[in-house]
Amino acid sequence: MTLAIILVVGAALGLILILGVTVSRGLQRAGRDRQQIQPIDVEAFRNLVDAAEDEYLRRRLPASEFRRVQRERLRATAAYIQVAGRNAAVLAVIGQEALASGNAATAEAARQLIDNALLLRRNASFALLRIYLALAWPRSNRTASGVLRGYERLNGCAMLLGRLQNPAVPVRIAAGI
Amino acid sequence: MLQAHSLLWNYLWVGPNLLLLVLAWLLWHRKIYRRIPVFFVFAIVSALGDIAVFVADVTPSVSPVNFWRVDWAYLLTENLVKFVVIGEVFSQVLKPYPSVSHLGRIVVSGVGAVLVVLALLVAAFSPGDSSVHLISGAHLLEQIVFTVELGLILVIFLFGAYFHLAWDRLSFGILLGFGISSCGHLAGWAISANAAPSPHGRVLLDFLDMATHHICVLIWCYFLLIPKRTSIARPLSASGDAVESHKEHLEVWNQELERLLHQ
Repeated sequence: MTLAIILVVGAALGLILILGVTVSRGLQRAGRDRQQIQPIDVEAFRNLVDAAEDEYLRRRLPASEFRRVQRERLRATAAYIQVAGRNAAVLAVIGQEALASGNAATAEAARQLIDNALLLRRNASFALLRIYLALAWPRSNRTASGVLRGYERLNGCAMLLGRLQNPAVPVRIAAGI
Repeated sequence: MLQAHSLLWNYLWVGPNLLLLVLAWLLWHRKIYRRIPVFFVFAIVSALGDIAVFVADVTPSVSPVNFWRVDWAYLLTENLVKFVVIGEVFSQVLKPYPSVSHLGRIVVSGVGAVLVVLALLVAAFSPGDSSVHLISGAHLLEQIVFTVELGLILVIFLFGAYFHLAWDRLSFGILLGFGISSCGHLAGWAISANAAPSPHGRVLLDFLDMATHHICVLIWCYFLLIPKRTSIARPLSASGDAVESHKEHLEVWNQELERLLHQ
């Protein structure tokens, strides 16, 4: 009887989850739950994952103090990675929308954006996992450096797609350089 | 009305299978079967197999032992093809996304292996609902299959939702049908195999089982035969709202880039 109850509850939860995904997919298509891109302070992010910074703190601080500071840094890194992962998901959706473009160059840029965005989201998930494990015994904060590189690569793809779709904005960036 | 071999009973057993055969014919006629060949085979195998079990049930000359043998053959064939269909659909979902396809395959294979072990363990602790192994074994097999199937479908849905993958209408419809079907069937077979229901309770569970199958077939008809209004893989046309929102996102991104480049 207990097994029957467990399996029935499992089936009910499964049904709720499946219907939830179906409804959220419908909402996504209607464009009602659009997430926004959240800005990231890339320089601060880079500092957090800088190996030299880790080494400096290790030399200057007592071991227990270093671990405390390093835990704080890992938590901050995790927050950045979560935002980067969410931004990647938003860009993946933008890329999928841009695939509809009749223009071959735009479609190719969109494909690259989707690829890089999904890669970043995947790497962000793994990096978060490693950070949560590292919180137990904090040593270095270099687990996230791959995410930072991916984020910067994604910049290039988003810029290319932006230039192809909306030429006015990238011109402003070029002028800024 | 809710009696074995009533009109409703016979309709729920045969009707959805005839509908599934019509669906298969329409898939063939509209050449949609080329995109989902294994599902096309599944529709035919599942419908004909279930009709064969029905015929074995109502034919007086078929002995109970032979009825259960037919049922076993149908279960094994249908479930084998069903898992190939799930694999085919997942491959189609991942095809446009090479950056996560390898991870997706690893996740689904790993979770699938764990689910099989778990389902076998659960089955080992199930008391079974009959002293005849041919009968209790069939019910336990159903419980194992639907546990694994539901787990796999949930993993695929969650994987797609996490990475915001765009599903094509056919793949989504097929998996949604299987998902709802596995929830209803798992609940039914779990009660049947573990809770020793009364004979009338068993008949009600059969009704639940057949009604779920009917709903599942209707879902497939809707997703596979009715054309989509807007594409899923290429979801938004250049409507005003979409373009504005798109530009807004890219503008925020570009502002970030601009700031980055100035540093």
